[in-house]
Amino acid sequence: MAAAAEMGSSVKRLFILGMIAAGLNATTFYVTVAGLGGEPEYEQRFSGWAKDIDKALKAAPDSKVDTLFGEAATKPAIRGVLDRIAKEAKPEDAVVVMLIGHGTFDGADYKINLPGPDLTAIELAGLLDRLPAKRQLVVNMTSASGGAIDALRKESRVIVSATKTGTERNATVFARYWAEALHDPAADSDKNETVSALEAFRYADLKTVLFYTTQKRIATEHALLEDTGKGEGVRAPSTENGQGLLASAFPLLRLGSNATAARDPEKLKLLAQKEQLEQQIDRLKYQKAAMPLEDYKKQLGVLLLNLAKTQAELDK
Amino acid sequence: MKICLVALLLTSCAYSQTIERAEALWKARQYDAARNIFEALVKAQPDNPDYKARYGRLLLERFNPVEAAGLFQEAVKIKKDHAGALLGLALVSADGFESKAGDLARAALASDPKLFEAQELLARLALEDNNPTKAVEEADKALAISPKALDAMAIRAAIDLMADKTDSPWIGRILALDPKYGEAYETIGYFFVLNRRYEEGIEFYRKAIALKPDLWSAHSQLGINLMRLGIDQEAREQLEIAFNNGHTDKPTTNTLNLMESYKNFLTFKTDNTILRLHKKEAELLRPYFESELKRAIATFEKKYKIKLDRPVQVEVYPDHEDFAVRTMGMPGLGALGVTFGYVVAMDSPSGRKPGSFHWDSTMWHELSHVFVLSATKHKVPRWFTEGMAVHEETAASPDWGDRLDPQAIGAVKEKKLLPVAELDRGFIHPTYPSQVVVSYFQAGRICDYINKVWGYDKLLAMMHDFGRGMSTPDVIEKQLGMKPEEFDKKFLASLTEETKRTVDGFAEWPKKVKALSALARENKHDDVIREGLAIRDLYRDYVEAGSVYEFLAEAYLAKGDKTRAIVELARYSEIGGRDPVLVKKLATLLEEAGRKKEAAAALTRLNWIYPNDEELHRRLGDLHMANGTPEAAIVEFRAAVAMKPHDTATARFNLARALKDSGKEDEAKEELLLALETAPGFRPAQRMLLELSKEEKIRK
Repeated sequence: MAAAAEMGSSVKRLFILGMIAAGLNATTFYVTVAGLGGEPEYEQRFSGWAKDIDKALKAAPDSKVDTLFGEAATKPAIRGVLDRIAKEAKPEDAVVVMLIGHGTFDGADYKINLPGPDLTAIELAGLLDRLPAKRQLVVNMTSASGGAIDALRKESRVIVSATKTGTERNATVFARYWAEALHDPAADSDKNETVSALEAFRYADLKTVLFYTTQKRIATEHALLEDTGKGEGVRAPSTENGQGLLASAFPLLRLGSNATAARDPEKLKLLAQKEQLEQQIDRLKYQKAAMPLEDYKKQLGVLLLNLAKTQAELDK
Repeated sequence: MKICLVALLLTSCAYSQTIERAEALWKARQYDAARNIFEALVKAQPDNPDYKARYGRLLLERFNPVEAAGLFQEAVKIKKDHAGALLGLALVSADGFESKAGDLARAALASDPKLFEAQELLARLALEDNNPTKAVEEADKALAISPKALDAMAIRAAIDLMADKTDSPWIGRILALDPKYGEAYETIGYFFVLNRRYEEGIEFYRKAIALKPDLWSAHSQLGINLMRLGIDQEAREQLEIAFNNGHTDKPTTNTLNLMESYKNFLTFKTDNTILRLHKKEAELLRPYFESELKRAIATFEKKYKIKLDRPVQVEVYPDHEDFAVRTMGMPGLGALGVTFGYVVAMDSPSGRKPGSFHWDSTMWHELSHVFVLSATKHKVPRWFTEGMAVHEETAASPDWGDRLDPQAIGAVKEKKLLPVAELDRGFIHPTYPSQVVVSYFQAGRICDYINKVWGYDKLLAMMHDFGRGMSTPDVIEKQLGMKPEEFDKKFLASLTEETKRTVDGFAEWPKKVKALSALARENKHDDVIREGLAIRDLYRDYVEAGSVYEFLAEAYLAKGDKTRAIVELARYSEIGGRDPVLVKKLATLLEEAGRKKEAAAALTRLNWIYPNDEELHRRLGDLHMANGTPEAAIVEFRAAVAMKPHDTATARFNLARALKDSGKEDEAKEELLLALETAPGFRPAQRMLLELSKEEKIRK
């Protein structure tokens, strides 16, 4: 999950821990849609990325995965899947919708190109608003996806778009790296065995930027993240711009055993101790700029050592 | 009728006065006012070629060669033998080092045999081609037309002074005619700089300014050349003087902008090196550039048998436009690197597409120039210093340098190579688009040939003879015991023999590769292998996209024959293939085959091509660890950290592992804490922390 330190205070950390706790006994519903490619090359590319995502998600515990691509990725099919989730999901559950393909924006509304009628951002927002699951993540990786932010933005909903506006119309590569983030352990940058939405966003964005710089091509996509429910989306979520807090607490994919440990009553004391140490570390990091570096390093070393010992006990 | 005549006379008189006024304003350096009048004149009389030609000259002087050329063209359309317009076009071409400048100047002279300026231009072109004999002839013709042809005299003076005469009688003659003619020293400075004799060039620009303090172009050139030698403060002062006095041409403004960007660079000094790197990549590139810079200097000190008397400065530009400013106004440059005395400027690997640029080979090339220019005091023909530099690239490593490319093959086949005595012309005034590239190839092969037949000491002897001011024909005759014409014959015979198979088969080769590509698309792996092996050695130097090696390796892999795939990819890499994807594929196959040392060697080659790749350093670091060489792993893992990857915790943890295995436990702990600061719950790092703490306790 994304480094809480980057988000700032221990208050924020508690918020994140709360969100995680809420998420531990919950189910995550994943809906991946790969729209029309138009050409065989794009068809193959889009469905390939969707399949990659599907594979990673099905390996995760407590997940319910629906993946639509090719002729099956129609508007009625999407509506059908979301209607079913609306019936199954509980408020503590989470929903992740990932869109891959070509999108368009006419200045008023965004559409993803699908076989048959297209799906607009306003229609998608309506479908998502009906879901009881409060925590929602929409990852719109199509061209022109920036044009959908206005329609989709809502409190408790994280939005990721591959482009910064509806006018970035070229085919995107962001989805390729989003799919990669779900397979590459390096995406879990804070090594807590969970890839958060923020970590996946940063991973995919960094790789997308690298793709254009190394190929010496003009970047035609600039990914954004919006999770305050009222912003335009930002390139680099941070404490300063107030974006990324919700995304950092949104577990996109669990890789390890921390969920199991939380369910073992014998280890609850150790877990509490671990969380306390983690909070102390966060507080110390927050004070770093205001204290002598040597003192900081000394205190950090002690806390990290204690945390390592606690974790070793937990792992026994 | 009478009224009409009067009106015509008045109009004509008004135009005449107006052109005179425009010329007067131009002379008084009131350029905008002069321009306005010319503009009005050209508009009022669009069919008058004289106005267009004169206006074009004003625009050319005021840094607008594009519009100037347009006006000259329009004038020539009106009057195809308009001498002034033809001369204007010749001057525009000459400024761009285009070979047609000579033809245009001759056409101007044919139209107006008294146009000594065109004759002066021919003298300049001859001297640019490093042909002083012809330059003297052309200058004397100009003087025969006009005994007051000051620029022809300046060229005569330049020839004398570049031949190391302490003085030239031509200077006295110029000053007798115009005691304030600083342009003469400016011309001399130009030729010294063109021959890479920057320090002397600078002194002549200083003399030009001393004679004519308001010669702003000389201030600009002085500034640019001081900048080239790394004398930044005075360079900026001179450029600002030029700029603030209206000399706002591109070289002046771009150089000032470049100097402004120096605040984004960091400078690292050692006893014999100065390295200037952009802040954003300094941490990553410094270890590689610094170690290679030192290795090259040590190698060349032994080979050239000289010791440099000052540190070499290497500047590395991630933005190609910044590098281009460094080379502005220089002819025939390959635009990868450039040497100004002891200062080398070059592209950063990050400024180019991965696999398209071998930065280390380029750096060794430029450093060879530093030694040859230093040994000869910059008195060396371009072909020789370039030839030595090209030779040194492949001498450093056979896979470095350039391969036999289609342009060179074409030149050999069509017998377009120049006689050695005229080879400089191919660099300065190319007559076909690829002639500069072909001239590099030819010069390199000439040095390879001399090295092969007479030995390296012969090349050194030639270098020292050039330093004594001897010409190419004299040096060839003295050192190789034959006339240049005979040498050309022998060299061409050897080159033809060497390249025969490729040159003869080249016409058919693209068709055969196309057919191979079609077979590969149809997954006919056995056919690809059969046909690929049959044509591979027809043009073995071809290692660009779609090489036969790649097709063969893919076909072998499809058939599960990894061993043969390795052989083909290794061949590709050894010959000079640089595509990081293919080299990484080779490393993966070698690693899978348990050949980890070879895998590390394959990946190490990429460090000299495109080090801006985090995955490369991570993999190489892991291989070094597996091979039991943690010291080497430290370098690679540090590079990975410098790239600020998404997963910084793992990058720092890897570095901590390598440091620990190298016995640097305190540093390892530092890195470990940095890893855990980012990711407090990182289990492997936690385990190592516990381990290190235990060991620390035991030590205490």
